[in-house]
Amino acid sequence: MSLRRLQTWLTGPRLLTLGIVFALAWSLSRVDWQQPIGHTGGGAAALQVLLALFPPELSPEFLRICVVSSWHTLAYAVAGMSLAVALGLPLGVLASGVLAQSADGSGARRWTLMASVRFLLAAMRSVHELVWALLFVAAVGLSPMAAILAMAIPYAGILGRIYAEQLQDVPAEPVAALRTTGASSAHVLLYGYIPMALPDLLSYTFYRLECGIRAAAIMSFVGIDGIGFQIELSLADLLFRQVWTLLIFLVALVVAVDWWSSRVRRSMAY
Amino acid sequence: MERTGMEQSHPAGAARARFNVLRWSAYAAALLVALSWAFILLDGNSGFGDLFRERTWQNAGQFVASLAGAGSGAPSPFVQAARWRETGQLALNTLAMSVLAMGIAGAGALVLLMPGARNVSDGTLGGAPSHTGRVVYAAVRIFYTLTRAVPELVWAMLIVFFLSPGIIPGALALGIHNLGIVGRLTSEVVENLDPAPARALRAAGASSPKVLLYGVFPQALPLFLTFLMYRWEVVIRTTVVVGFLNAGGLGREFRLRMSWFHYDDVGLLLVWYLLLVIAVDVLSAQLRRRVRWD
Repeated sequence: MSLRRLQTWLTGPRLLTLGIVFALAWSLSRVDWQQPIGHTGGGAAALQVLLALFPPELSPEFLRICVVSSWHTLAYAVAGMSLAVALGLPLGVLASGVLAQSADGSGARRWTLMASVRFLLAAMRSVHELVWALLFVAAVGLSPMAAILAMAIPYAGILGRIYAEQLQDVPAEPVAALRTTGASSAHVLLYGYIPMALPDLLSYTFYRLECGIRAAAIMSFVGIDGIGFQIELSLADLLFRQVWTLLIFLVALVVAVDWWSSRVRRSMAY
Repeated sequence: MERTGMEQSHPAGAARARFNVLRWSAYAAALLVALSWAFILLDGNSGFGDLFRERTWQNAGQFVASLAGAGSGAPSPFVQAARWRETGQLALNTLAMSVLAMGIAGAGALVLLMPGARNVSDGTLGGAPSHTGRVVYAAVRIFYTLTRAVPELVWAMLIVFFLSPGIIPGALALGIHNLGIVGRLTSEVVENLDPAPARALRAAGASSPKVLLYGVFPQALPLFLTFLMYRWEVVIRTTVVVGFLNAGGLGREFRLRMSWFHYDDVGLLLVWYLLLVIAVDVLSAQLRRRVRWD
């Protein structure tokens, strides 16, 4: 096959497939195949963990611990999310550039503002919430507030980016009509952009709440109480029956939020 | 609420029922936010007051300075080529872990692509609707929900019980969680695609693998790859977190240096972490643009 024919053959899907195969082969080559993959007795341990599901720990005292830690996880998730929305919405509005469209300032100034807010949002979301948490704990010490801030920063970064995209997708005609009546930027935002984008904004926020539950659960890693913390304790004591009960509570919490969020999304889809 | 059934058949009534869901959701959300903040702030150790103390901000400033290598006395790791090389190897391991994780999630989602889609199990895409098909569909969906609901870090906590530390356990933990996410999204793509090609193939006597290959794949593949790329951006950020649990790569080293208070080394690891995140974001955006090959 001539090089020219190879070039035309090797485009789009084929190139991508080759790239994926190459990437997978390269990552497998980084694995240390000298040492055994499993622990000695790993299989027996796996079986023991699986059998502990029948039945999980269901004593009233332990169920109380599960309910309390589920509430803690939910409370941290909701607090973190509400802070993330409070930070992400104004940043998203600035990043979308919809406020500056009334053409009083120069285009360059508007572009600089949008670009710098976008950069800030990207920086906030480039670090995982647990890494933020570890940094905060090292910087100012362990407290619930540190965990909530650690969660709110990357979540505000994601929310801000998506909010900005959703605000930019708002149809231009009604907004233009509002502007011709002499509405100020704040009015255009409050009565034009926000109401029209509201279903999308809410849908995404609810979807993120589901992720927030998981994020709050693993905040245990820096010592914040919640389902993850209890899982860690039970695992350390090899009490696998308790681990199963806690996992069931975690799944139930996520599924409940998922159900609520899909109800809200469906009720807004016309 | 007992009138809901009748109202739903009525456009105006349906609008009212919708309104109720929204209104009650708004009340519930407001109540939940208030209760959560009350619970956290009423606890004396919430740390909220610390936010307004000068001392807190001084400590934070000192910490940031020590990340940059100030005040440790020893030569900063930032100026030692050997440290850059060592940590670069860790960064490559972390990258390999994320690629393997996507491989696991992608392969799993491809295998479960057909049984996990409702329109395959109920025969909309051609083929006979079978009882087994429906049972398998339900099982796959429950499997997706379970794998998705449990966070990567908890999977990693469980997996370190059976597997020796390294790239594999981390990739497996990330792969299982993301299989639930990518799998669900992909099944929804199959459910929403145009059934005509698959039905035509089926009517022409094509076998199931052929229907999958020529009737479903060509339509579903671009979106499937797009989801994988989006998730890869999330996964590269999470590899470090999974690595905390002895799973190797940057994460393990990060955790160790943190506990030894080697903050200047932590700073170097953070630089690699950010380089990886930026590289994957750029690559993913480029590939996503290429994927739209139609």
